[in-house]
Amino acid sequence: MIELLASALVLASMYGLVAVGISLTWSSVGMLNLAQGFVFTAGGYVAFLFAQYMAKNFSIRDGVILSLGVVFLGMLGSAVAGLVVGGLAFLPLHDRINFPVRGLIATLAISIIGTQVFMLIFGPQSKPLPQIFGIKRLKIGEFSIAYGQVGTIVVATLVLLLVTLWMKRSRRGLQMRAMMMNPLGANMVGVSVRTTGMIALAISGALAGLASVLLGQTFFVSPTSGVQPLIVGLIISLAGGLGSMPGTVAAAVLLGFAEAVTARYTEQSFVPFVQFALVIAILTFRPRGLGGVLEDVRE
Amino acid sequence: MSLLHMEEVSSGYGTMRVIHGLNFSIEPGERIGLVGLNGHGKTTLISTIVGMTGWQDGSIEFMGQQIGGRRSHGLGRNTPKIVRSGIAIAPQGDAIFPGLSVEENLDSGAYTDGAWKTRKRRRDAVLEVFPPLRSRLKQSAGTLSGGERRMVSVGRALMADAKLYLVDEPSLGLAPKISIGLVAALCEIDLGDGAMLIAEQNLPLLSGKCDRILGMHAGELKEDVGEALGDIPPAGEMS
Amino acid sequence: MSNASVGRRRLIPRWRVKSSSLSHRLRVPGTKRSLLRFEGRYNPKTLQRELILKDKKPLFWMVGLFALAAIPIAIGQQLVFSIFGSICFFAAINVLWTLIIGTAGLQSFASLATVGVGAYAATYLSITYGIPWPVMLVIGTAFGALMGFIISIPARRLDGLYYALLTIGISEFCRSYITQSEALGGQFNGALFGADRIVAEEAMQTQSGQTLSYLISFTVLLITLAIFRLVSGGRIGILLRTAQSSKEDESFASAIGIDFQRARLLVFMIASAALGFVGAFYATNQGGASLSLFSLDQMLLLLAMIVIGGLGKAEGAVVGTVIVVFLNQWFTSWGPWRIVLVGVLMLASVLYTRNGLFGLRQQLIEIRERRKALSRATRTTRYGAFLPEQGPEIADKGVIAEREFERAIRDELRSWITPEIIEEHRLSPMGQHSDHLERILNYFRKQPISNKYVVYCEESYKAYRVVALSGIPGVPPRSVDDKTYSNLDEAYHAVFLRRINDLKSQH
Repeated sequence: MIELLASALVLASMYGLVAVGISLTWSSVGMLNLAQGFVFTAGGYVAFLFAQYMAKNFSIRDGVILSLGVVFLGMLGSAVAGLVVGGLAFLPLHDRINFPVRGLIATLAISIIGTQVFMLIFGPQSKPLPQIFGIKRLKIGEFSIAYGQVGTIVVATLVLLLVTLWMKRSRRGLQMRAMMMNPLGANMVGVSVRTTGMIALAISGALAGLASVLLGQTFFVSPTSGVQPLIVGLIISLAGGLGSMPGTVAAAVLLGFAEAVTARYTEQSFVPFVQFALVIAILTFRPRGLGGVLEDVRE
Repeated sequence: MSLLHMEEVSSGYGTMRVIHGLNFSIEPGERIGLVGLNGHGKTTLISTIVGMTGWQDGSIEFMGQQIGGRRSHGLGRNTPKIVRSGIAIAPQGDAIFPGLSVEENLDSGAYTDGAWKTRKRRRDAVLEVFPPLRSRLKQSAGTLSGGERRMVSVGRALMADAKLYLVDEPSLGLAPKISIGLVAALCEIDLGDGAMLIAEQNLPLLSGKCDRILGMHAGELKEDVGEALGDIPPAGEMS
Repeated sequence: MSNASVGRRRLIPRWRVKSSSLSHRLRVPGTKRSLLRFEGRYNPKTLQRELILKDKKPLFWMVGLFALAAIPIAIGQQLVFSIFGSICFFAAINVLWTLIIGTAGLQSFASLATVGVGAYAATYLSITYGIPWPVMLVIGTAFGALMGFIISIPARRLDGLYYALLTIGISEFCRSYITQSEALGGQFNGALFGADRIVAEEAMQTQSGQTLSYLISFTVLLITLAIFRLVSGGRIGILLRTAQSSKEDESFASAIGIDFQRARLLVFMIASAALGFVGAFYATNQGGASLSLFSLDQMLLLLAMIVIGGLGKAEGAVVGTVIVVFLNQWFTSWGPWRIVLVGVLMLASVLYTRNGLFGLRQQLIEIRERRKALSRATRTTRYGAFLPEQGPEIADKGVIAEREFERAIRDELRSWITPEIIEEHRLSPMGQHSDHLERILNYFRKQPISNKYVVYCEESYKAYRVVALSGIPGVPPRSVDDKTYSNLDEAYHAVFLRRINDLKSQH
């Protein structure tokens, strides 16, 4: 039972990180970032390069420094990738007509290019990441959970809490929420749409990078490893209501559980079906998603 | 040196030229009323100062710093920078943030570093001016009435430690009693060496309370219209 | 104003005709539609009747389609046949997809999946029950329509992005279903072959067989283009165009009695059925179906074609397809670089153009128009003689010139008004005056009658008042104040002062 719970929460935290990033980008910038998969992969590769470098030059293959470095550099790499996406798709387009559709297509193009570039540099094989939480298992009574799972859940929850708190308390967070509500009004109180938008993209990139490093524990990094998280992340951010953090997290937990339960009691192949059925059900009853209030406000 | 000095400023939206070669300046400590009918360019003048028109041309100097120039794209791209240099703007209508609480709305107005650090004191000062907001601090701004929204909008502008306050149509859409109170409150604020520009359609609201009243007519300024405004030619002349 | 922009005339091909043959038109057989849209007019110079071709698009279509059909047959190599075959196949899908996205305005990404459903259904039934290819086409169409019906259910409730993602999900779901399904070739990674072929497998090795196969593909493209033309250019397309582009338009459309929801779903169903047909055709041409029909990458490539060509236009869909497929299949030695190039093209077209290659012309025209209007606006309203928004809309430039002239006069006269002049008038309202005062008075005299101040005699030599004429026959003058003047000179001067005051306050 606990194993089921653990795997559900691991999935939920992973999906939550990606989906919150997508949701954040959409609500603050007004662009659906389909290059989030590329951003995700970029973080994984940066972390992989770091681990490889450490192993080659210092013979460090595990330990706290490596783990911290992998996490930090993964997030950094993805944040930079997020900025690249912003520089290519958001900055040139954000005050042009038809921005939402054009931004979407531009990010899609970036994602196509990115996948191929990774393919050219790293080849199609998967690359492993070091086990940052060790390979031991935590024993609770008769059940045992891998440290990796516990670590993933704890780190993801912590980071999501931090981001939520930051959005609620800090000045930048206030500015970002102001921009979500009324971009023109935010302009008049000294919030630069361009700067704040780039910050939002960097943060959502960092979240994706974290997810990438955490997911890299079990699934390796490959040029197309971003596709699955992107699609699930998109579905979750939709089901949660684009722009709503609590809604997104709730949707992530819901879909994580659905996936874990389905995979355990039936076949892995039914997972997408169950997920989509769930999302369609949610969207049929709440067309704006679980927490979606923002859409009306933005118009 | 004057606080704001505009020289040969024109601006407009797309094919429309709304402001025609304006020359005027605002001195420190002044409270200026800007009156004129709908569609004669009051709002555009304010938008021009903060760079929110479609295109603009001409020199605008604020505290000796050039914030104007020739520009034909990127509507509002420079606005944050201009605003941060010390101009606070309370736009026409409600440009408030409906999902944020009143408190957060006001805080968002304290956008310079100095103002942000002293935001509690500043908020209290604003609440002194607009007492009705005090009981609604935690309430979402989207649920307020029209008058309260306007108070939030103006109050947000007052939160900044700006040198120049631009208030656009404070009375628009409000009940006469409320709008009189709002304008009176605006006119009692101590400006120090700052200045305030209030755009307004309703001349009696401002007369006697401002240092200068300028008329705006078809995109041009008429210096000190004062009382002669009653003699504006009948509308037939305009068409 | 630069002289270069004056009188530049576009090159328009024209035919001189006799007036009697003006109404003679070539028509599409069996319809009233004319083959080419000519417009008759008088040549402004020679005053002779002539015909102008208003719409050159059909000509370009003819040339382009002929080239598409003829080039591979002329070259006759297998590689070229296969490239042009894919061009026709993808172009057919893209044209129908354009119908869905552009005409129906539904952001559906399940078009390729609909094709796949048609292909797999036809192949499976053909293998299991030995169905011949004509029936396969019918089955594919039916399954396409069924798929369209299923996908269209959520379209009523979800809008925009939500629907787009849902359809991406549906096609992902189809893909994973096939990889799991035994019957649909899951064990061979989704490859299901052995369906009945139009052109037998042995014949495909010969050039005539390839030519035949290609011509059939081309015919399918022609059919989809015809469907596009009939739907988009027909009544339903017009209805949908009324309702497009914004929420307000939608409510406007429903307010004038257009059930656009029904219309767009109908278009969606038609396009889906046609997509199923294309899928079944693919199955009969290839002898089966493969998983690439559901792959996300393939769908992105299709999207790239539409984006590069220009969304919402059939010619955009076709030309975009030609570019991308050619890049993708001719330069196979480039490896991943060609996909990068496609991505870069896509990015460039979305960054620099508003609507792809075929939106470029409209975009350039708009830029030129805007520049022209902008410079006109700065010129015509320079003196603020109008309300700002009137400036560009006044067609008669004489009016503008006149008002600017009037305004210049007023400015000049205003600068002449001094206390001395007023004093001079007060001393002697009538008779010889100084030059400036005389000119000011002349200006006042020639003003229009309405609202003109005049002296009204209440009692001769005793009481005079200032009134303003109404300017309308039968409407009496209105009094402007209660003052009475005891002699005529004082009254004259009062009128003068009022006029001066008006002149001062008037811009």
